[in-house]
Amino acid sequence: MKIFRNPEILWREEDESKAEAYEGLEQGEDVSEMGTSVLFSDGIMLSLNVLGTEIWKRCDGRDVESIVSDLTLQFDVEPDVLRKDALMFLDELAEKGFIRYEDN
Amino acid sequence: MKTTNFLKAPLTINWAVTNVCNFKCRHCYSRTDPSQELDEKTLHDCIEKIIAAGVLSINFGGGEPLLRSDLLDIALFASQRGLRVSMNSNGYLINREKARSLKAAGFSKVGISIDSHRPEVHDSFRGIRGSHQKAVAALAYLKDAGIKTSLSTVICRINYHDIDTLIAFAAEHGVHQLNFHNFKCSGLGYSNKDELDLSADEWKDFYISAMKAKQQVKGMEISLDDPIIASLGMKAETDSLVKGSVCGKLSLNIKSNGDITPCGFIPIVIGNIASDDLKDIWFNSPVLAKMRNKIPTGKCSTCKSYDDCLGGCSARALALTGDFNNPDPHCWVHES
Repeated sequence: MKIFRNPEILWREEDESKAEAYEGLEQGEDVSEMGTSVLFSDGIMLSLNVLGTEIWKRCDGRDVESIVSDLTLQFDVEPDVLRKDALMFLDELAEKGFIRYEDN
Repeated sequence: MKTTNFLKAPLTINWAVTNVCNFKCRHCYSRTDPSQELDEKTLHDCIEKIIAAGVLSINFGGGEPLLRSDLLDIALFASQRGLRVSMNSNGYLINREKARSLKAAGFSKVGISIDSHRPEVHDSFRGIRGSHQKAVAALAYLKDAGIKTSLSTVICRINYHDIDTLIAFAAEHGVHQLNFHNFKCSGLGYSNKDELDLSADEWKDFYISAMKAKQQVKGMEISLDDPIIASLGMKAETDSLVKGSVCGKLSLNIKSNGDITPCGFIPIVIGNIASDDLKDIWFNSPVLAKMRNKIPTGKCSTCKSYDDCLGGCSARALALTGDFNNPDPHCWVHES
Protein backbone atom coordinates (compact mmCIF):
# COMPACT_ATOMS: atom_id res chain seq x y z
CA MET A 1 0.00 0.00 0.00
CA LYS A 2 1.15 3.50 -0.78
CA ILE A 3 1.52 5.87 2.15
CA PHE A 4 0.80 9.58 1.93
CA ARG A 5 1.25 12.39 4.44
CA ASN A 6 -1.94 14.31 5.20
CA PRO A 7 -1.32 17.70 3.52
CA GLU A 8 -3.26 19.37 6.34
CA ILE A 9 -0.49 18.52 8.81
CA LEU A 10 1.98 21.30 9.51
CA TRP A 11 5.51 20.10 10.14
CA ARG A 12 9.08 21.18 10.20
CA GLU A 13 12.48 19.77 11.01
CA GLU A 14 14.29 21.19 14.02
CA ASP A 15 17.67 21.98 12.46
CA GLU A 16 19.72 22.33 15.63
CA SER A 17 18.30 19.17 17.20
CA LYS A 18 18.73 17.30 13.93
CA ALA A 19 22.41 18.23 13.71
CA GLU A 20 22.87 17.22 17.35
CA ALA A 21 21.12 13.90 16.79
CA TYR A 22 23.21 12.98 13.75
CA GLU A 23 26.36 13.93 15.62
CA GLY A 24 25.24 11.65 18.45
CA LEU A 25 24.54 8.84 15.98
CA GLU A 26 28.03 9.09 14.57
CA GLN A 27 29.41 8.70 18.06
CA GLY A 28 27.23 5.67 18.72
CA GLU A 29 24.95 7.41 21.23
CA ASP A 30 21.30 6.58 21.83
CA VAL A 31 19.42 9.49 20.24
CA SER A 32 15.99 7.87 20.22
CA GLU A 33 14.62 10.41 22.72
CA MET A 34 15.91 13.40 20.78
CA GLY A 35 13.27 15.13 18.66
CA THR A 36 14.31 16.27 15.20
CA SER A 37 10.91 17.27 13.80
CA VAL A 38 7.59 18.54 15.01
CA LEU A 39 4.19 17.80 13.49
CA PHE A 40 0.94 19.41 14.42
CA SER A 41 -2.66 19.46 13.48
CA ASP A 42 -5.80 20.58 15.28
CA GLY A 43 -5.18 19.70 18.90
CA ILE A 44 -2.49 17.08 18.26
CA MET A 45 1.25 17.65 18.29
CA LEU A 46 4.05 15.18 17.85
CA SER A 47 7.79 15.42 18.08
CA LEU A 48 9.60 12.69 16.15
CA ASN A 49 13.10 11.32 16.57
CA VAL A 50 15.56 10.84 13.70
CA LEU A 51 14.09 7.58 12.50
CA GLY A 52 10.49 8.75 12.88
CA THR A 53 11.31 11.92 10.96
CA GLU A 54 12.97 10.03 8.12
CA ILE A 55 9.97 7.68 7.84
CA TRP A 56 7.59 10.67 7.89
CA LYS A 57 9.55 12.42 5.12
CA ARG A 58 9.23 9.33 2.95
CA CYS A 59 5.43 9.12 3.25
CA ASP A 60 5.11 10.52 -0.25
CA GLY A 61 3.43 7.61 -1.98
CA ARG A 62 6.05 4.94 -1.24
CA ASP A 63 5.14 1.66 0.42
CA VAL A 64 6.57 0.29 3.67
CA GLU A 65 9.06 -1.99 1.92
CA SER A 66 10.45 0.89 -0.06
CA ILE A 67 10.79 3.04 3.06
CA VAL A 68 12.43 0.23 5.04
CA SER A 69 14.92 -0.69 2.33
CA ASP A 70 15.85 2.96 1.91
CA LEU A 71 16.39 3.49 5.63
CA THR A 72 18.38 0.30 6.19
CA LEU A 73 20.96 1.79 3.82
CA GLN A 74 21.14 4.89 6.01
CA PHE A 75 20.82 3.48 9.52
CA ASP A 76 22.47 0.58 11.30
CA VAL A 77 19.32 -1.42 11.99
CA GLU A 78 18.02 -4.90 11.13
CA PRO A 79 15.37 -4.71 8.36
CA ASP A 80 12.95 -6.94 10.28
CA VAL A 81 13.22 -4.81 13.41
CA LEU A 82 12.83 -1.62 11.42
CA ARG A 83 9.85 -3.01 9.49
CA LYS A 84 8.06 -3.96 12.71
CA ASP A 85 8.75 -0.58 14.35
CA ALA A 86 7.84 1.33 11.18
CA LEU A 87 4.53 -0.48 10.81
CA MET A 88 3.57 0.28 14.40
CA PHE A 89 4.59 3.90 14.01
CA LEU A 90 2.74 4.32 10.72
CA ASP A 91 -0.41 2.75 12.15
CA GLU A 92 -0.29 5.27 15.00
CA LEU A 93 0.10 8.13 12.52
CA ALA A 94 -2.80 6.75 10.48
CA GLU A 95 -4.97 6.51 13.59
CA LYS A 96 -4.29 10.18 14.32
CA GLY A 97 -5.07 11.09 10.70
CA PHE A 98 -1.53 12.21 9.95
CA ILE A 99 -1.10 9.77 7.04
CA ARG A 100 -3.36 7.75 4.81
CA TYR A 101 -2.87 4.41 3.09
CA GLU A 102 -3.83 3.90 -0.51
CA ASP A 103 -4.05 0.59 -2.37
CA ASN A 104 -1.47 0.13 -5.10
CA MET B 1 9.61 7.35 17.75
CA LYS B 2 7.88 10.21 19.54
CA THR B 3 9.94 12.51 21.74
CA THR B 4 9.74 15.82 23.51
CA ASN B 5 12.21 18.64 23.10
CA PHE B 6 12.56 22.36 22.75
CA LEU B 7 11.56 24.10 19.53
CA LYS B 8 13.72 26.31 17.31
CA ALA B 9 10.94 28.88 16.88
CA PRO B 10 7.26 29.33 17.71
CA LEU B 11 4.93 27.10 15.75
CA THR B 12 2.26 29.77 15.71
CA ILE B 13 2.11 33.54 15.91
CA ASN B 14 -1.08 35.14 17.18
CA TRP B 15 -1.09 38.54 15.54
CA ALA B 16 -3.41 41.37 16.60
CA VAL B 17 -3.15 43.33 13.35
CA THR B 18 -5.48 46.03 14.64
CA ASN B 19 -6.99 47.03 17.94
CA VAL B 20 -9.95 48.73 16.30
CA CYS B 21 -13.17 46.93 17.10
CA ASN B 22 -16.85 47.27 16.33
CA PHE B 23 -17.86 45.41 19.50
CA LYS B 24 -17.92 46.26 23.21
CA CYS B 25 -17.17 42.90 24.81
CA ARG B 26 -17.30 42.82 28.59
CA HIS B 27 -14.17 40.69 28.86
CA CYS B 28 -12.06 42.46 26.17
CA TYR B 29 -8.30 42.15 26.83
CA SER B 30 -7.11 44.57 24.14
CA ARG B 31 -9.32 47.61 24.64
CA THR B 32 -6.51 49.47 26.36
CA ASP B 33 -3.78 48.38 23.92
CA PRO B 34 -2.05 50.97 21.69
CA SER B 35 -3.86 51.96 18.52
CA GLN B 36 -0.70 52.26 16.42
CA GLU B 37 -0.60 49.79 13.52
CA LEU B 38 2.23 48.55 11.34
CA ASP B 39 1.75 49.53 7.69
CA GLU B 40 1.31 46.83 5.07
CA LYS B 41 4.89 47.00 3.77
CA THR B 42 6.31 46.62 7.28
CA LEU B 43 3.92 43.76 7.94
CA HIS B 44 5.13 42.01 4.80
CA ASP B 45 8.72 42.35 5.98
CA CYS B 46 7.75 41.02 9.39
CA ILE B 47 5.94 38.06 7.83
CA GLU B 48 9.08 37.24 5.81
CA LYS B 49 10.99 37.41 9.07
CA ILE B 50 8.78 34.94 10.92
CA ILE B 51 8.85 32.54 7.96
CA ALA B 52 12.64 32.66 7.94
CA ALA B 53 12.63 31.83 11.65
CA GLY B 54 10.55 28.70 10.98
CA VAL B 55 7.06 29.74 12.08
CA LEU B 56 4.41 27.59 10.41
CA SER B 57 1.13 29.33 11.07
CA ILE B 58 -0.27 32.74 11.77
CA ASN B 59 -3.57 33.52 13.43
CA PHE B 60 -4.88 37.04 12.96
CA GLY B 61 -6.82 38.67 15.76
CA GLY B 62 -7.33 42.03 17.33
CA GLY B 63 -9.51 44.00 17.80
CA GLU B 64 -11.57 42.83 14.88
CA PRO B 65 -9.07 41.91 12.14
CA LEU B 66 -11.58 42.51 9.35
CA LEU B 67 -11.62 46.20 10.23
CA ARG B 68 -8.15 46.38 8.78
CA SER B 69 -8.79 47.22 5.13
CA ASP B 70 -5.66 45.47 3.86
CA LEU B 71 -6.19 42.24 5.82
CA LEU B 72 -6.87 40.17 2.70
CA ASP B 73 -3.69 41.41 1.02
CA ILE B 74 -1.66 40.66 4.16
CA ALA B 75 -3.20 37.19 4.44
CA LEU B 76 -2.57 36.46 0.77
CA PHE B 77 1.04 37.53 1.16
CA ALA B 78 1.43 35.12 4.09
CA SER B 79 -0.44 32.17 2.58
CA GLN B 80 1.39 32.41 -0.74
CA ARG B 81 4.64 32.02 1.17
CA GLY B 82 3.47 28.82 2.80
CA LEU B 83 2.14 30.02 6.14
CA ARG B 84 -1.09 28.45 7.35
CA VAL B 85 -3.39 31.43 7.84
CA SER B 86 -6.35 31.63 10.19
CA MET B 87 -8.26 34.31 12.05
CA ASN B 88 -10.47 34.96 15.04
CA SER B 89 -13.38 37.25 14.24
CA ASN B 90 -16.68 38.29 15.72
CA GLY B 91 -18.23 37.45 12.34
CA TYR B 92 -20.21 40.67 12.05
CA LEU B 93 -18.62 41.71 8.74
CA ILE B 94 -18.60 38.30 7.07
CA ASN B 95 -21.16 37.94 4.33
CA ARG B 96 -21.12 35.49 1.43
CA GLU B 97 -18.83 37.67 -0.68
CA LYS B 98 -16.40 38.33 2.18
CA ALA B 99 -16.25 34.60 2.97
CA ARG B 100 -15.29 33.86 -0.63
CA SER B 101 -12.62 36.54 -0.60
CA LEU B 102 -11.22 35.11 2.66
CA LYS B 103 -10.96 31.75 0.94
CA ALA B 104 -9.21 33.34 -2.03
CA ALA B 105 -6.76 35.04 0.34
CA GLY B 106 -5.77 31.65 1.71
CA PHE B 107 -7.58 31.49 5.03
CA SER B 108 -7.81 27.83 5.99
CA LYS B 109 -9.77 28.35 9.17
CA VAL B 110 -11.77 31.12 10.79
CA GLY B 111 -12.84 31.10 14.41
CA ILE B 112 -16.07 32.89 15.25
CA SER B 113 -16.74 34.09 18.77
CA ILE B 114 -20.09 32.97 20.10
CA ASP B 115 -20.57 32.87 23.85
CA SER B 116 -24.08 31.50 24.12
CA HIS B 117 -26.63 29.62 22.08
CA ARG B 118 -29.12 32.25 23.32
CA PRO B 119 -28.92 35.34 21.07
CA GLU B 120 -29.88 37.81 23.80
CA VAL B 121 -27.17 36.50 26.14
CA HIS B 122 -24.46 36.68 23.46
CA ASP B 123 -25.57 40.13 22.27
CA SER B 124 -25.52 41.48 25.81
CA PHE B 125 -22.06 40.03 26.51
CA ARG B 126 -20.64 41.35 23.23
CA GLY B 127 -22.42 44.70 23.54
CA ILE B 128 -23.96 44.70 20.05
CA ARG B 129 -27.57 43.86 19.29
CA GLY B 130 -27.90 41.41 16.40
CA SER B 131 -24.33 40.17 16.75
CA HIS B 132 -25.40 36.57 17.44
CA GLN B 133 -27.44 36.40 14.27
CA LYS B 134 -24.55 37.80 12.23
CA ALA B 135 -22.08 35.38 13.82
CA VAL B 136 -24.26 32.38 13.06
CA ALA B 137 -24.71 33.57 9.47
CA ALA B 138 -20.93 33.98 9.17
CA LEU B 139 -20.42 30.33 10.12
CA ALA B 140 -22.67 29.28 7.24
CA TYR B 141 -21.02 31.61 4.71
CA LEU B 142 -17.56 30.40 5.69
CA LYS B 143 -18.57 26.77 5.47
CA ASP B 144 -20.10 27.37 2.03
CA ALA B 145 -16.88 29.05 0.93
CA GLY B 146 -14.88 25.97 1.94
CA ILE B 147 -13.24 27.41 5.05
CA LYS B 148 -13.08 25.34 8.21
CA THR B 149 -14.75 27.04 11.13
CA SER B 150 -14.26 26.96 14.84
CA LEU B 151 -16.49 28.37 17.51
CA SER B 152 -14.76 30.27 20.29
CA THR B 153 -16.59 30.52 23.57
CA VAL B 154 -15.21 32.34 26.58
CA ILE B 155 -16.40 30.38 29.57
CA CYS B 156 -17.72 32.58 32.34
CA ARG B 157 -20.77 33.04 34.53
CA ILE B 158 -23.16 33.51 31.57
CA ASN B 159 -22.55 30.07 30.03
CA TYR B 160 -20.71 27.63 32.29
CA HIS B 161 -23.80 25.47 32.78
CA ASP B 162 -24.45 25.25 29.02
CA ILE B 163 -21.80 22.74 27.91
CA ASP B 164 -24.14 20.25 26.25
CA THR B 165 -26.22 22.97 24.63
CA LEU B 166 -23.15 24.72 23.28
CA ILE B 167 -21.82 21.45 21.87
CA ALA B 168 -25.16 20.75 20.19
CA PHE B 169 -25.23 24.32 18.86
CA ALA B 170 -21.71 23.97 17.43
CA ALA B 171 -22.56 20.62 15.84
CA GLU B 172 -25.76 22.05 14.36
CA HIS B 173 -23.71 24.73 12.61
CA GLY B 174 -21.11 22.31 11.30
CA VAL B 175 -18.06 23.72 13.04
CA HIS B 176 -14.83 21.76 12.92
CA GLN B 177 -13.71 22.71 16.41
CA LEU B 178 -15.29 24.11 19.56
CA ASN B 179 -12.93 26.08 21.77
CA PHE B 180 -13.88 26.55 25.39
CA HIS B 181 -11.56 29.38 26.41
CA ASN B 182 -10.82 29.89 30.06
CA PHE B 183 -11.52 33.31 31.50
CA LYS B 184 -8.27 35.27 31.65
CA CYS B 185 -8.87 38.31 33.90
CA SER B 186 -6.96 40.64 31.54
CA GLY B 187 -8.08 44.11 30.45
CA LEU B 188 -11.83 44.46 30.93
CA GLY B 189 -11.82 40.82 31.99
CA TYR B 190 -9.96 41.97 35.06
CA SER B 191 -12.29 44.90 35.69
CA ASN B 192 -15.36 42.68 35.34
CA LYS B 193 -13.96 39.53 36.95
CA ASP B 194 -16.13 39.70 40.05
CA GLU B 195 -19.20 39.63 37.86
CA LEU B 196 -17.98 37.12 35.25
CA ASP B 197 -15.34 34.79 36.65
CA LEU B 198 -16.14 31.48 38.35
CA SER B 199 -14.92 30.25 41.69
CA ALA B 200 -12.19 27.59 41.72
CA ASP B 201 -14.72 24.87 42.60
CA GLU B 202 -17.03 26.02 39.83
CA TRP B 203 -14.11 25.73 37.38
CA LYS B 204 -13.47 22.23 38.63
CA ASP B 205 -17.09 21.21 38.08
CA PHE B 206 -17.08 22.83 34.65
CA TYR B 207 -13.93 21.02 33.52
CA ILE B 208 -15.06 17.63 34.79
CA SER B 209 -18.26 17.97 32.77
CA ALA B 210 -16.46 19.43 29.75
CA MET B 211 -13.83 16.67 29.74
CA LYS B 212 -16.54 14.00 29.90
CA ALA B 213 -18.30 15.67 26.98
CA LYS B 214 -15.03 15.93 25.06
CA GLN B 215 -14.43 12.21 25.47
CA GLN B 216 -17.91 11.38 24.20
CA VAL B 217 -18.29 13.75 21.27
CA LYS B 218 -17.19 12.39 17.90
CA GLY B 219 -16.64 14.31 14.69
CA MET B 220 -15.86 17.64 16.32
CA GLU B 221 -12.74 18.60 18.24
CA ILE B 222 -13.43 20.20 21.62
CA SER B 223 -10.50 22.26 22.82
CA LEU B 224 -9.96 23.13 26.48
CA ASP B 225 -6.86 25.30 26.67
CA ASP B 226 -6.43 25.40 30.43
CA PRO B 227 -3.38 23.69 31.94
CA ILE B 228 -5.01 23.29 35.36
CA ILE B 229 -7.12 20.47 33.88
CA ALA B 230 -4.07 18.24 34.37
CA SER B 231 -4.89 17.94 38.07
CA LEU B 232 -8.12 16.10 37.20
CA GLY B 233 -6.12 13.17 35.84
CA MET B 234 -8.62 12.71 33.01
CA LYS B 235 -7.32 11.53 29.65
CA ALA B 236 -7.31 14.44 27.21
CA GLU B 237 -7.21 12.37 24.00
CA THR B 238 -4.89 14.99 22.57
CA ASP B 239 -1.14 15.38 22.75
CA SER B 240 0.81 18.54 23.41
CA LEU B 241 4.54 18.95 23.17
CA VAL B 242 4.72 20.90 26.40
CA LYS B 243 3.29 20.93 29.90
CA GLY B 244 1.56 23.93 31.45
CA SER B 245 0.84 27.07 29.47
CA VAL B 246 1.82 26.86 25.80
CA CYS B 247 2.54 30.61 25.65
CA GLY B 248 6.19 31.29 25.01
CA LYS B 249 6.77 27.57 24.40
CA LEU B 250 4.76 26.89 21.26
CA SER B 251 3.47 30.34 20.37
CA LEU B 252 4.01 34.07 20.72
CA ASN B 253 1.74 37.08 20.41
CA ILE B 254 2.37 40.19 18.32
CA LYS B 255 0.47 43.41 18.98
CA SER B 256 -0.72 45.85 16.34
CA ASN B 257 2.39 48.01 16.78
CA GLY B 258 4.69 45.01 16.40
CA ASP B 259 5.42 44.54 20.09
CA ILE B 260 5.93 40.89 20.98
CA THR B 261 4.46 39.44 24.16
CA PRO B 262 4.41 35.81 25.37
CA CYS B 263 0.65 35.74 24.87
CA GLY B 264 -2.16 38.19 24.27
CA PHE B 265 -3.08 38.17 27.93
CA ILE B 266 0.39 38.92 29.28
CA PRO B 267 1.21 42.62 28.92
CA ILE B 268 4.99 42.22 29.08
CA VAL B 269 6.74 43.35 25.91
CA ILE B 270 9.78 41.18 25.11
CA GLY B 271 10.72 42.78 21.79
CA ASN B 272 9.33 44.18 18.57
CA ILE B 273 8.98 42.16 15.37
CA ALA B 274 9.85 45.12 13.16
CA SER B 275 13.11 45.95 14.88
CA ASP B 276 14.27 42.79 16.67
CA ASP B 277 15.37 39.30 15.70
CA LEU B 278 12.65 36.77 16.47
CA LYS B 279 15.00 33.87 17.13
CA ASP B 280 17.10 36.00 19.45
CA ILE B 281 13.98 36.81 21.46
CA TRP B 282 12.82 33.19 21.36
CA PHE B 283 16.10 31.88 22.74
CA ASN B 284 17.29 34.75 24.93
CA SER B 285 14.29 36.56 26.41
CA PRO B 286 14.58 36.46 30.23
CA VAL B 287 10.78 36.62 30.46
CA LEU B 288 10.35 33.54 28.26
CA ALA B 289 13.08 31.76 30.20
CA LYS B 290 11.19 32.47 33.41
CA MET B 291 7.93 31.22 31.93
CA ARG B 292 9.59 28.04 30.67
CA ASN B 293 11.27 27.37 33.99
CA LYS B 294 8.65 28.23 36.55
CA ILE B 295 9.43 27.66 40.20
CA PRO B 296 6.56 26.24 42.25
CA THR B 297 5.44 28.41 45.14
CA GLY B 298 2.75 28.09 47.80
CA LYS B 299 0.49 25.07 47.38
CA CYS B 300 2.20 24.20 44.07
CA SER B 301 5.33 23.27 46.03
CA THR B 302 3.73 20.14 47.42
CA CYS B 303 1.15 19.41 44.72
CA LYS B 304 1.51 16.05 42.98
CA SER B 305 -0.01 17.51 39.78
CA TYR B 306 2.60 20.25 39.43
CA ASP B 307 4.76 18.33 36.97
CA ASP B 308 1.79 18.17 34.60
CA CYS B 309 0.15 21.58 35.07
CA LEU B 310 3.24 23.68 35.97
CA GLY B 311 1.19 26.02 38.07
CA GLY B 312 -1.61 26.49 35.52
CA CYS B 313 -2.18 29.57 33.39
CA SER B 314 0.80 31.92 33.67
CA ALA B 315 -1.26 34.89 32.40
CA ARG B 316 -3.85 34.46 35.10
CA ALA B 317 -1.29 34.00 37.87
CA LEU B 318 0.47 37.16 36.73
CA ALA B 319 -2.73 39.21 36.38
CA LEU B 320 -4.13 38.29 39.77
CA THR B 321 -1.02 37.78 41.90
CA GLY B 322 1.74 39.69 40.12
CA ASP B 323 3.98 36.64 39.60
CA PHE B 324 3.98 33.83 37.01
CA ASN B 325 5.27 31.43 39.63
CA ASN B 326 2.33 31.76 41.97
CA PRO B 327 -0.44 29.16 41.79
CA ASP B 328 -3.13 29.82 39.19
CA PRO B 329 -5.98 31.47 41.15
CA HIS B 330 -8.46 29.21 39.33
CA CYS B 331 -6.83 26.11 40.76
CA TRP B 332 -9.17 24.12 42.99
CA VAL B 333 -6.56 21.84 44.52
CA HIS B 334 -6.23 22.41 48.26
CA GLU B 335 -2.84 22.66 49.94
CA SER B 336 -1.59 19.21 50.98
